[in-house]
Amino acid sequence: MSRFASIILVLGACLAGAAGGARAQEPFPSRPITLVAPFPPGGVADLTARPVAAALERTLKNPVGVVNKTGAAGAVGMQSVATSKPDGYTLLLALSSISIIPEADKLFGRPPAFTVDQFAPIALISADPTILVVRTESPWKTAKEFIEDASKKPGQISYSSSGIYGTLHMAMELLSHAAGIKLRHVPHSGAGPALTALLGGHVDALASGPAVVLPHIKSGKLRALAGWGESRVAALPDVPTFKELGYPGAEFYIWAGVFAPRGTPEPVLARLREGLRAAVADPDFKAAMDKLETPIVFKQGEEFARFFAADAKRLTDGVRTVGKIEEKK
Amino acid sequence: MAETLQNLALGFGVALAPGVLLYAFVGCLVGTLVGVLPGVGPLAGISLLLPATFGLDATRAIVLLAGIYYGAMYGGSTTSILMRIPGEAASVMTCIDGYEMARRGRAGAALAIAAVGSFVAGTLSVVALMLLAPPLANFALRLGPPENFALLLLGLLVLAYMSGGSMLKSLAMAALGLLLGMVGIDPMSGYFRFAYGVVELGDGIGVVPLAVGLFGLAEVLVTAGKATPPLVQQPRLRELLPSRDEWRQSVGPIGRGTLLGFLIGIIPGSAHIIASFVSYAVERRLSHRPEEFGRGAVAGVAGPESANNAATSGAFVPMLALGVPSGPIPAVMLAALMVHGVSPGPLLIQQAPALFWGFIASMYVGNFMLLILNLPLVGLFVNVLRVPYGLLYPAIVVLCVLGVYAVNGSIVDVWIAVAMGVLGWLLRMLQFETAPIVLGAILAPLLEMSFRQSLAMSDGYYGIFVTRPLAATLLAVGVLLLLLGLRASIARGLDWRERLALAEKGDQS
Repeated sequence: MSRFASIILVLGACLAGAAGGARAQEPFPSRPITLVAPFPPGGVADLTARPVAAALERTLKNPVGVVNKTGAAGAVGMQSVATSKPDGYTLLLALSSISIIPEADKLFGRPPAFTVDQFAPIALISADPTILVVRTESPWKTAKEFIEDASKKPGQISYSSSGIYGTLHMAMELLSHAAGIKLRHVPHSGAGPALTALLGGHVDALASGPAVVLPHIKSGKLRALAGWGESRVAALPDVPTFKELGYPGAEFYIWAGVFAPRGTPEPVLARLREGLRAAVADPDFKAAMDKLETPIVFKQGEEFARFFAADAKRLTDGVRTVGKIEEKK
Repeated sequence: MAETLQNLALGFGVALAPGVLLYAFVGCLVGTLVGVLPGVGPLAGISLLLPATFGLDATRAIVLLAGIYYGAMYGGSTTSILMRIPGEAASVMTCIDGYEMARRGRAGAALAIAAVGSFVAGTLSVVALMLLAPPLANFALRLGPPENFALLLLGLLVLAYMSGGSMLKSLAMAALGLLLGMVGIDPMSGYFRFAYGVVELGDGIGVVPLAVGLFGLAEVLVTAGKATPPLVQQPRLRELLPSRDEWRQSVGPIGRGTLLGFLIGIIPGSAHIIASFVSYAVERRLSHRPEEFGRGAVAGVAGPESANNAATSGAFVPMLALGVPSGPIPAVMLAALMVHGVSPGPLLIQQAPALFWGFIASMYVGNFMLLILNLPLVGLFVNVLRVPYGLLYPAIVVLCVLGVYAVNGSIVDVWIAVAMGVLGWLLRMLQFETAPIVLGAILAPLLEMSFRQSLAMSDGYYGIFVTRPLAATLLAVGVLLLLLGLRASIARGLDWRERLALAEKGDQS
C-alpha cells in the first residue's frame, strides 16, 4: 500500500471516529487480532503469548495469532505496536523491559524507540518473583550470610545476568541498592547462559525465575537463599522473601502483560479486558501455565495500572542507579 | 555397558513406534528443505515450527525439532556446492571447494561426499553423546569466558591458513569482518554502536544476510558481469558418484571433522560455525597438496561438512545431561520441553528415561533416514546445473531475498544482504576472498563478549587468561599456530623472491 493510500485510510478512520463515537462502524472484534511477542520463540514472552492467544481466541470467538517481531532486546516489536493503528487488532505481550528500554534510551540521550505513554495497559497475565540462587558448595547458607559477606568484601562476589539492564540484572541491582552492598556484574547473552555460568562456577550468584532453577535446586546443585516477591514462592516454602528479611526495596517480578497502542477506544479495551479475564480462567490456559510452572496473576484496569506504575518506578530508578557503566570507574 | 544397551533397546522401542518414526521423518524432511533454502537455517526452521509442536507429546516434539536441526546440516551443503550460496551459515566453508568441484563437473561427487560425511559424523557423535554425555557435560561447564576467549582467538588465528592467496589480503578481510561484527548494542554498557538510529541494527549485522550477500548475490553479479555466459553443464549419471581416489581423500577429513566438531559443539556459548572453519584449516594444514584448497579439494568439503554435523550432536550434550543450553537452538528446544511439562535438568535422564533414550535412538534412525533421503536427491539436485543461467540466476536472487527476509521478517536484513552482495562483487573483482569476512563478523561479538566477561570476572586483571590451565593451554596452542603461520609466510616470501629472480633471468635471456 502506498503512503498516500495509508494517509487516506488514517484520515478516513479519524473522520469515522469523529462522526460518532457511539456508532461503531463494525462490532469489535470482527477480524483476526495479532498479538505481537517482541522476543523469539521459546522465550518467556512467546511461551506466555501462545496460550494467551489460544484462550483469547476461544473467549472472543475470533482468531488471535501470535507474531514474533524480534530485535534489539524487544525494542523492534514494541516500537511496531506503539506506532500501529489503535483499533484493538494489534496487541503487545510485553515484559518488564517495556519500562526499562525507554529509560535506558533516555540515559544514553538517544531518541527513544518508543515511550511507555504510547501504550494502554490492558491486563497483567503472570508475575513471577525472581529468587537468589548460589551453588550448594558455596559458603553462604542464608541470604543474611550472603549480604553480610558482600558488605565485608564489596565488589568481590560476582553474579551473572541475562544482559546489561536486563531483568535479571535489574533484580540484583535493586537488592544491592536496598542492602547497601556492591556486587560484581558479569553480563551474559540470555538467562540460559547466565545459569550455565553459575553452574560452571564462573560466577557466585544469580537472580533467576524460579521455574528455570527448580530442577537444579531439587538435584542438589543450587541453593535458593531468598526471593524478591511479596510472598514466598509456592514451590519453595522454606525460602524467605527479602521483604521478610527487612529489605522491602528488593521487590521484583518477571511479569507478562497485554498492552494496546494508546488511543484504542474504551469500548474495545473493555471488550479485551473482559476477554482476557475469561481467558485466564480457561482450563487449557491454566494447564499450559502450570507446565511452565508460571503462576497466573491477573490484574486489569486500575489495579494493573497501579502495579505497572509501581514496577516502572522501581525499574526506572534502578536504571538510573546503575547509570552509564563507564562513568563508574 | 549392558545397562546402556538395555536403555538403548528401550530407546529404539520408543523411536521405532510408527508415530515417533513419522515425526522423525517429517523433521528430517523439513530440516533438509530448511537447509537447502538459502538463508533459512535451522534456528528459523525450529522457531517457525515450535508452536506447531505444542499439540504433540514431549518425545514427538523433541524428535521433530532435533530432526530439523541435524537435517538442516545435511541440506545446507546442497546450494553451497551447486550455486555457491550457503544454505545455512555453517555451510560457508563448503561453498569454497564444493562449488569449485561443481564447476569441474564433480558436483555429484561433492554432494555424495557431503551426505556420507554428515552421516558418519552424525552417527559417531550420537555414540559419543550416548556414552559420554554426563561426564562431558560437567567438563563443558568448566569452560567459562576465559577458555571461550582463548578458543575463539584460536579460531581467528586459523585464518592464517584459510586463504589460497595472500595472507595480508585474508587478514584485511578478517579485520573488515571484525569491524562489521562491532555494529550493534555494546553487550557490557548498553551503548548502540554504529546503528545510526536504525533500531534493527541494535542486534548487529546478521550472519545470514552477510553470508547470503557475500556469497550468493555476489556470485550472481560476478557471473552476470562476464562477457560470455558460463556453459550449462550436462552432468552424466556415472559422474555422480565419487571416484575411489575421492573416497580415499575423504576418510581422514571425515574422521577428524567429526572429532573436532563434536568437541567444539559441546562448549556452551561457542559458535558451531567455528567447527567447520577449524576443520577446513586443519585439513589444509595436514594436506600434502594444500594448493588444491580453494580449487576444488575433496577434503575441503568432507571435513567441514562432517564437523558441522558432529557439532549438532555435541550441542545436545549440555542440554540433555544438565538442562543448560549451549546455543540458541538448544535453548529453543529446552523451551519446547518445558512447554510439555518436562523440566530439563540434571535429573532428566532418571526422570524421563523413555524420552532421553527415545531421543538418542531417534537420532540414529534420523541420520540413516537422511542418508537415504539425500543420496537419491543428489541425482535430482545436480540437474539444477542444466538450467540455463537466464532462468537460474533470477531464481537464485529471489530465493536469496526470500530466505534473508524469512529469518527475522526484517526488510533491513534484505538491504544488508544487497549491500553485502555489491561489496562481495567488488571484492571478488579485486581478488579478495570473502570467507574471512564472514568468520570475522561471527567471531567479533563472541570474542568481545568473552574477553570482557573474563575481565569482569577478574575485576580487570589480565592474568585470568594464563592462570586458568585450560585457557592457558589453548592460548599456547594459538601462539604456536601463529608462529607456524609466520614461518610459512616467511618461507613463501623466499619463494616469491626466488620467483622474481627467475623471472628477471627470463627477461634477460
